[in-house]
Amino acid sequence: MAELITGLSSGAAYALMAVGVVLVFRCTRALSIAQGEIGAFGFFLGLRWADRGIPLLGWHPPRFATLLIAVVVGGLIGFVVERLVMRPLVRRPPLDALIATLGIALFLALLELRLFGTATQFAPSAVGEWKIELFGATLVASRVIGIVLAAAVAGALYVFFTRTKFGLAVQATTGDPTVARLLGVPVNQVYRFAWVSAGMLSGVAAALLGPSFGGLTPFGQTEFALRALAGSVIGGLDSVSGAIIGSLIVGVVEAYGKAHAGPGVDSLLVLGLVLVTLLVRPKGLFGATAAA
Amino acid sequence: MPLRRPEFEQAWERLSTWLRDPARAAITVGLAAALLAPAFPGVRSSTLNILAGVAAIAIAALGLDVLVGRTGQLSLAHAAFAGVGAFATIGVGGRGAPWPLALLAGVIATALVATIAGLPALRIRGLQVAIVTLALQLAAEKFVYPDDDLTGASLALDRPALLSSPKALYFFAIACVAGVLVLRRRLGVTRGGRALLAVRDIELRATAFGVEPAAAKLGAYTLSGAITGLAGAILAFKESPGAISDTSPFALLQSLLLVAIVVVGGAGSGAGIVLAALFLNGVPQIFTGFGRDAPLLSALLLVAAVVLQPAGVGGFLTAISQRLRRRAGERPDPRPRLVDLGAADASAAALRDVPRGLSLRMPAPALLEATDVSVRYGGVTALVDVSLEVRTGEIVGLIGANGAGKSTFFNAASGFAPTTGSIRYRNVELLEQPAARRTSFGLARTFQDMGLVRAETVRENVLLAQTWLAKYPAAAGLLALGATLSTERDLRRRADAALELFGLDHLAEERLGDLPYGTMRIVEIASAVAAGPDLLLLDEATAGLGPEESQALGDRFLALREELGLTLVVIEHHVPLIARVCDWCYCLESGALIADGRPNEVTADARVIESFLGRSAAATGGRKR
Repeated sequence: MAELITGLSSGAAYALMAVGVVLVFRCTRALSIAQGEIGAFGFFLGLRWADRGIPLLGWHPPRFATLLIAVVVGGLIGFVVERLVMRPLVRRPPLDALIATLGIALFLALLELRLFGTATQFAPSAVGEWKIELFGATLVASRVIGIVLAAAVAGALYVFFTRTKFGLAVQATTGDPTVARLLGVPVNQVYRFAWVSAGMLSGVAAALLGPSFGGLTPFGQTEFALRALAGSVIGGLDSVSGAIIGSLIVGVVEAYGKAHAGPGVDSLLVLGLVLVTLLVRPKGLFGATAAA
Repeated sequence: MPLRRPEFEQAWERLSTWLRDPARAAITVGLAAALLAPAFPGVRSSTLNILAGVAAIAIAALGLDVLVGRTGQLSLAHAAFAGVGAFATIGVGGRGAPWPLALLAGVIATALVATIAGLPALRIRGLQVAIVTLALQLAAEKFVYPDDDLTGASLALDRPALLSSPKALYFFAIACVAGVLVLRRRLGVTRGGRALLAVRDIELRATAFGVEPAAAKLGAYTLSGAITGLAGAILAFKESPGAISDTSPFALLQSLLLVAIVVVGGAGSGAGIVLAALFLNGVPQIFTGFGRDAPLLSALLLVAAVVLQPAGVGGFLTAISQRLRRRAGERPDPRPRLVDLGAADASAAALRDVPRGLSLRMPAPALLEATDVSVRYGGVTALVDVSLEVRTGEIVGLIGANGAGKSTFFNAASGFAPTTGSIRYRNVELLEQPAARRTSFGLARTFQDMGLVRAETVRENVLLAQTWLAKYPAAAGLLALGATLSTERDLRRRADAALELFGLDHLAEERLGDLPYGTMRIVEIASAVAAGPDLLLLDEATAGLGPEESQALGDRFLALREELGLTLVVIEHHVPLIARVCDWCYCLESGALIADGRPNEVTADARVIESFLGRSAAATGGRKR
């Protein structure tokens, strides 16, 4: 039972990242490997500024502001990435876009390495140090907030996609960008929306994952992003609810692997889950189309 | 004795044509520079050690590119594959085996692991392969690397006496790079490499040439793994004596940097990739001044390359090569030449006498006999109980409106559609034979929307179509063993004969996709003919051709029957052409046969006019009267 609770709470954190992956995939048909590193870079900056003060201003932001900085910087990086890198790639083969996001992840991680060194960054929780006990599992504050936020984001996106005009425009763009453009859908705005909100979600995820997983390392978030990718592949790359459920499954399986099997077995289990899903049901549990 | 002028000029001419390909020139100059490098002043043995490592990275990238360039799949686990090579080398060599054996163990172990890793790729594709290999890389890091028994970290690999000095190791590594480049070149000119290009670009149609897609893909993983395993073995020897304590050369970061090298160098370009490896991996280690920022630069270059120059350094080399050729005035007329068909005897003779997958002596009333053939896709019926026959030496026309089931019939005969009923060819039931086998019986076809690889040259495509005639094993082809060289020479001769027969010989080296559509269609027919069929199925051969070209093609149909003894089934919309060349004609409507007979009878049939020719044609006829 304790593993189930811990697993679900890690799964919720992965889900926050997975939702970003799905948003980008749904809107632009690009699979983003950079989803972890974009927000992580923002959180790194937040930590650095909280520690040493913002350059030129000299103001030390309070601890909870590290989360806000991660969100804002993540969104900004998403904006820049979309405008400079991803938009020229829209009509190119999907593998090109994947390689581009891989380059972005590499660049951000190496920049973190250059700026902050290889040592694990101690990451104090942005949402306080309280914890709760649930069925024998101890959940620290960032995990609890992660679960709440994942649920909130899922609800908000559901409303957005089904009830708002822009959300419907996003759906149209996914179906056929050319036709959508001809029908007057602001396709470029849809792309920008996807990347900026994915960047912000990545920032939230980094700020919550860092503290609850024992600090931040360059490339560390790419590993988390892989779990999120695994979750979204299992649930279906174009389904928000699928990605959340998939991420929860990954979290739980991993928690059981960690608790009951040798070291490293959890990552083997994740590999196995992804493989079985892709071989048996390439669309994922709730997806409509398979990534090709 | 002084060199006689003509000989000298001839040699110079040869050398300059050979070097006109910038990729070749880069490799030649680079290899010369690499061999002379140790003699340069200021090159210390530590530099040579670094360069040996760079050579290993280049080899790993060349291995990765066998997948990226040839199959269009991206692996993010190649650093882990190199790790397997290193660990296996240490595991065998560290237990006292002689070093060549240890090296071989590294190569074979990695080839095996890569082949197993390639199994899922038979079902999944593109982005999914990338995700799975990413998960594989991380699983290897978490599960294998910390385990000293698996990595051989508890063993110590002795430095082989032959490779004891940095200079010796350096020359060994350079020799390996050269060997891998030769291997990749062999892949390009033999059946294995051609099959991969076909699987990459026209996977579902590759079987029409006798290509087995699954075997080809797994072969690519095996070869890619073997090459990358060699890189791992070199890295293991570089760290010897002793064990590999640092697994960072086999970590995710390195996998991503390998992808960067391949993309910046240009997928498919050996010269480009070696240059990129030298620049991205070697320069920062040797000129340590900007050392810490170098990986950042790699990442930036990777992103810039994807966005601005997807063909990488290799793309530049190709562009230079094209410009040189253009300047030399070698831009040929993109249309087929007119061929005097009577005088093309020699070409025709070269295309006859092809061995068959079945005996030609079997008595058969008809060459092709279809009985009650039906094709259903789920709930949609594309063909209903069609029975028709094609006699030896006939040219049979297949007409009907769009969607009548003409191409579906071709798909049924060549094994591309779920078919019931019976299609007998020379009395052999085709529906019981795998699609890739049917070509060897003497059945060739073209596709309505082109079943060729546009990114390749005209000659490569004609060679690809002859895959079933290349009887040597793909692996033997890589090493030029057995009958490889003589077979390839024969295939080339056949290809050139087919191109000559269709007046395409001046276009042999042109990229297919650069040619006008009409010419591409002729190339496809030439390819099908080169495969040495008895029965040729042509799907809308005249689509995209002008009236004169269609006329000429009609003459060619007759000549194919005359000179090569071919039997033809043609799907056609051009009624005058049918009337001129066909002996018999079938008309389909909504998947069912509605008329058959001599062409003039069929085109006069009321139902055919109603269904296929339509009222406008009837009206035109009326106006003439």
